[in-house]
Amino acid sequence: MTGASGFIGAKVVEILLEYGFCNLRCLVRPSSQLGRLKKATAPFDGKGNIEFLAGDLLSPEDCAKAAEGVSIIYHLAAGFDKSFAGAFMNSALTTRNLMEAFLQHGTPKRFVNVSSFAVYSNLSLERGAVLNETCALEDAPQKRWDAYGFGKLKQEELVKEYGERCHLRYVIVRPGAVFGPGKTQLNGRVGIDTFGFFMHLGGHNQLPLTFVDNCAEAIVLAGLTPGIDGEIFNIVDDELPTSRQFLRAYKKKAGVRSISLPYPITYLLCYLWERYASWSRNQLPPAFNRRRCSAEWKGNRYSNRKLRERLSWKPRVGMDDAMEAFLAQF
Amino acid sequence: MLRIAIVGCGKVADQHAAAIHRVADCQIVALCDRELLMAKQLGERCHVSQCFSDVQEMLRSATPQVVHITTPPQSHFQLARQCLEFGSHVYIEKPFTVTAAEAEGLIQSAEERGLKVTAGHNYQFTLEMMEMRRLVREGFLGGPPAHVESYWSYDLGDISYVAPMVSNSGHWVRQLPGQLFHNLISHGLAKVAEFLDDEVTEVVATAHQSSQLRQLRAKEVLDELRVLIRDKNGTTAFFCFSTQIKGVNQLRIFGPSGSITADIITGTAVRTSSQAYKSYLTYFIPPLKNAKEYLRNAAFSVSNFVRRRLYQDFGMKELTERFYRSIEGEISVPIPYREIILTARLMDRIFDQVYPEGEQAQFGQGVSGVDSQNSLSLFVNK
Repeated sequence: MTGASGFIGAKVVEILLEYGFCNLRCLVRPSSQLGRLKKATAPFDGKGNIEFLAGDLLSPEDCAKAAEGVSIIYHLAAGFDKSFAGAFMNSALTTRNLMEAFLQHGTPKRFVNVSSFAVYSNLSLERGAVLNETCALEDAPQKRWDAYGFGKLKQEELVKEYGERCHLRYVIVRPGAVFGPGKTQLNGRVGIDTFGFFMHLGGHNQLPLTFVDNCAEAIVLAGLTPGIDGEIFNIVDDELPTSRQFLRAYKKKAGVRSISLPYPITYLLCYLWERYASWSRNQLPPAFNRRRCSAEWKGNRYSNRKLRERLSWKPRVGMDDAMEAFLAQF
Repeated sequence: MLRIAIVGCGKVADQHAAAIHRVADCQIVALCDRELLMAKQLGERCHVSQCFSDVQEMLRSATPQVVHITTPPQSHFQLARQCLEFGSHVYIEKPFTVTAAEAEGLIQSAEERGLKVTAGHNYQFTLEMMEMRRLVREGFLGGPPAHVESYWSYDLGDISYVAPMVSNSGHWVRQLPGQLFHNLISHGLAKVAEFLDDEVTEVVATAHQSSQLRQLRAKEVLDELRVLIRDKNGTTAFFCFSTQIKGVNQLRIFGPSGSITADIITGTAVRTSSQAYKSYLTYFIPPLKNAKEYLRNAAFSVSNFVRRRLYQDFGMKELTERFYRSIEGEISVPIPYREIILTARLMDRIFDQVYPEGEQAQFGQGVSGVDSQNSLSLFVNK
């Protein structure tokens, strides 16, 4: 596992252990805080073979050590660098190193690549239409000013290339907005926190939420379920709330002030921002633009049908309980 | 049309590519990175099809007239030398080289070949720095500068840069003689070098580790630096690099009849006159004059915003453009070579003092108040 000390990663470890897979190697950055991970593995101390390996995915040597003798890799480590080069380096290049090491030093059965909803483009999708695994991917991440999405797109491209060229057996999972205890910030699809207040941009849109436990179990199943090589799965929960419902519940607990902007106004402002950025030759970077507006605030519906049908997954935590657990931290 | 290549396609290369795109009559023709995928990702975003993982191959195939080197500093000297030997002009990211000897060697090599080089001291060309330079040229100081102060801060809050470096002693930053300082102080130090004579008689440096860095478990890395400098003419300079002072990146220059503060964060160049006022007027007139000065700066910023000149990395575009114009023979090199060499020499002397060979562990344990004995041992005149 990579990214094992992270918000989702520690939960994946916990569920793998719960499933009885105690032969785990967790690659963590030397600077990582291991609190979550150690808490997840504590009940299994001395019971299995759980190894913490400090290393850097940019180092082929560290990747070789991580991949030595392993048969499944859960690749959760992600780069959140704001620059495109940094995002590419920390998402795509690291993935390439890991896959190379897996093929050379592992006994590859499956490579589970954890991607993101950020790879989708909603630009040509109607409002209210269902976004699923067959939808178009973003073809101009630079215009969307989304370095993270660029890194994830390139990561997926590399995984698919290795699948074709090197016969690497892979599965790609794309979690929606993962939430749960331990993560307090609101997802950008609800709105943006700026100038001292919260600007609610999500309106009545359905949010592609997935509770961290549910998401982690889907990821675990993606590594264990036979017959799904080369498949892609979106991860969202059932009974998805709207942005307005989610924010209302959040405000009751967190006590933030917000103003709402309807989608047409948001779209117009994003369009004007984009035009100004272009006219001024990026004096203001195009941080708000039509592509981002469509991807985050247009309002689509989401399906976990493929996940349910092919992985026999169902949310282990219902939305009401998930919301309660999330809000309990405020 | 100048043919440009970039060697090293990491984060800084993105800034260079953006700056180059703003300059007329030039085109990026090739990209090179030891990791070909990195070159390709930048090529895809900048519409450059010629991507290489070998510099020699790139030079032969793409024949660039100018090469921007944006790799880690340890490779600057070798790469620049290869480019110069091929006949390309070279723009080298800061720090120019690892040592002053390398800097001198490169400049000599360029001059022998009739080629140009420049260092990535782009903060020398921000709007406020150019305004400050204009004021100095017009005599606002009333004579040569008597004292210069440069403050350069770096916020460790963004641990994406610091964390991988502090946790890995093999990281390229950790391999530099001045470690973290080596990669971060060039901009601030180049500002004082501009106003000092080449013959520096005294350099006094002291450094310690902040408590914040200690929490990141960085044993040997120092991140607080103070330096006193004096040149043969008696001009003095104070340089402060800090990770704990937030948001202060400024140069203050003092002359007989006034001082100027160029602030990079706020984009202001504020004049302060040494004029004396009678009695209580001292308390009324200077503050009002200061208010007027800030108002003038605000108007200047608004004007620049309207004119679309207030974009990030204006300094890099300006430096790049001036460097290209110097190549075309229109102007002299934007950064005098003596300034590049002096910056490198000052860095050498500072690192000799704060990281004396074999004493890294001692200073690594030092806290924000280095004890007086250690402090004294650091105040070594050269």
